[in-house]
Amino acid sequence: MFINILFFSASALVIASCALMMWTKNLMHSCVYLLGVLIGVAGLYLTLGADFVAATQIMVYVGGVVILMLFAVMLTGGKDFQSKTQQLLNLLPSMGNKYTFMWGGGVGLVFAGCLTYFFMHLFKVIKVQEIDNNSYSPTIEKLGELLVTDHLVAFELSSVLLLGALVGAAIIARPRKERPAYIDDIEHDHHHDEEHH
Amino acid sequence: MSNQTLNVFMPVAIMMVIAALLFGGALLAAYLLSPSKPGGNKDLPYECGEEPVGSAWSMFNVRFYVVGLIFIIFDVESVLMFPVAAIFKKMNELGNGTYILIIFLSFISVLLEGIAYCWKKGDLDWVKSFSRTTKTK
Amino acid sequence: MENTIAGYFLNFPIFQAIAETLGVGLTAFLIFFAFAGLFTVILATVGGFGTIAERKISADLQARIGPNRVGPYGLFQLIADGIKMISKEDIMPRSADKFLYYLAPFLCIFGVLCTVAVMPFSKNLILSDLNVGVFYAIAISSLVGVGIFLGGYASNSKWSLLGGMRGASQIISYEIPVTLTIMMIVVIAGGLSFNTLVEAQAGMPWNWYIFHNPFTFIGFFVFFISTLAETNRAPFDLPEAESELVSGYHTEYTGIRFGLFALAEYIEIFVVSAVSVSLFLGGYQLPFNILEGTLPNELLQFGSLFLKTCALYYVVIWVRWTFPRLRVDQLMSICWKYLTPIAIFNLVGTAIWVVAFDGQSMFQLFFGSGAH
Repeated sequence: MFINILFFSASALVIASCALMMWTKNLMHSCVYLLGVLIGVAGLYLTLGADFVAATQIMVYVGGVVILMLFAVMLTGGKDFQSKTQQLLNLLPSMGNKYTFMWGGGVGLVFAGCLTYFFMHLFKVIKVQEIDNNSYSPTIEKLGELLVTDHLVAFELSSVLLLGALVGAAIIARPRKERPAYIDDIEHDHHHDEEHH
Repeated sequence: MSNQTLNVFMPVAIMMVIAALLFGGALLAAYLLSPSKPGGNKDLPYECGEEPVGSAWSMFNVRFYVVGLIFIIFDVESVLMFPVAAIFKKMNELGNGTYILIIFLSFISVLLEGIAYCWKKGDLDWVKSFSRTTKTK
Repeated sequence: MENTIAGYFLNFPIFQAIAETLGVGLTAFLIFFAFAGLFTVILATVGGFGTIAERKISADLQARIGPNRVGPYGLFQLIADGIKMISKEDIMPRSADKFLYYLAPFLCIFGVLCTVAVMPFSKNLILSDLNVGVFYAIAISSLVGVGIFLGGYASNSKWSLLGGMRGASQIISYEIPVTLTIMMIVVIAGGLSFNTLVEAQAGMPWNWYIFHNPFTFIGFFVFFISTLAETNRAPFDLPEAESELVSGYHTEYTGIRFGLFALAEYIEIFVVSAVSVSLFLGGYQLPFNILEGTLPNELLQFGSLFLKTCALYYVVIWVRWTFPRLRVDQLMSICWKYLTPIAIFNLVGTAIWVVAFDGQSMFQLFFGSGAH
């Protein structure tokens, strides 16, 4: 019962926030709707009994990635880029003209067809199980044991990957090595003033 | 309790509902009790008595973004370390203490390398001095 | 189920009788709902008293009297404040982002109250002893950072925006030392659920994790300093620095929305102090263990946690009225150049200690294993 309520509310949250996220033209609002999507996905993980993954989802995505995105939007000034005239296709939140929408719609239909084809198969094979009796078992110990035994190399290599990401992020975000022109100007003026005195 | 229909996550969900109820109740009480006379200068943002010039939404410094980037890397590292930390005691009691200690320390040493690199290159400084970066060149 | 409020109260005959008529599921749901509401009311009251305590203690530290008009010793000031908050007009700047302006206080209060779901008030007075308890608490409380940022952004005021940006970057930065310090305790305790963390600290104060080894002793102070910054308390109150940013991220908020921001902040201080107590200072544990499992014992344990938390709360307020505010660059260098390396050092030291001395505490090493 509870699992069902959780599942339906979480999926409703995901779908609604996803639609709103794509629909809105305001970048900030888009980020906030993304927050809803990520929390909803965490709820979906909970219905599978994956508590650690759900908490990780909230910690890394909500606490980190969304704030990073908000900061990134602030780099652009975070203004509302809404176009003043809103008619027909301009209402839709994307760039492009009639042809791009036509192509996009066609490709979307093809993908939807493929997905339906695969999932039809799944629906036939797997019976709907009584998820209410889904007994809850701790996952974090299992995860830890697997990380230090079977997936040890992946665990250690992931630290190297993260080191690479850290160094890369630091290098990209570093200011340019040359001194900006205005600092030279300021120092030059300062020098000039001193000579004058 | 043999009845498994109750999930351990239920109290968490209930707490979320209660938080929403508290928020909604407070707003409802305020809506019913407080006056609402919009208009006039009180709708302007506060700027110590001056008329505000322009919007506050302007481009912001990239430093905040750098802090966010470094934070995410450390966040992911700590998330990976938590499962290992959780079984640390158990493994030690089973006699595999040295094994898991080596795994743990090698993971942390890579983390330390990252922070040492950022420190050395001045990425942890809030105010980056340009003269220092020219010297390193 | 066993280690929750519902599991505990369902052992009482009266609740068993109710469970027979309503069914176990519904009864447990009602118990959970009642206690979640009760905890929320208690915490809201504690948050309200926090504002009085702040003023009374600051007055005491500066040799003033403080609020003393409403009720004895000004104790009913919180009711007066609450009525005032509710009956003031709720003004929104004309150019504000309406949706985000409404959402921001909600995220703050939501993030704070959701951590209460895993708070161990006593052995059985815990809403849900989640297996990832403390990790969940760190994760969900990061919503507060988003709320503060959005509050600052949505107001479309320069002061608010500066405060919001500072707040968000400060909160995410100081989450690193907090997480690493918690991991240190997890290494000793061998689990993330709050009951696992607290249970090993039973008995006398020397069994508390703060005295487990030298690294945890340093770790407590790292944790305390970081939580001060996480809750935007002085000397880390840059997001709402009144002498430079008017009031920071809630400059434009009035009436009940401002009240909710303030309430969230004061509740967060209490919750974070309670987490510190649970991790380092023995949590709800009592030095004696009479009346095991009965309701008075639970209430005594709750009192133990409450007293220690209030003591820590006092220190938080004391620190605010003692130290001057930091500069932004000092704030960042304290986090990344001092606290984070120290936290990593503590983590490494504790891991080595646990392996080298077989998980024994300092006291057990010095005075033999009979200490327990």
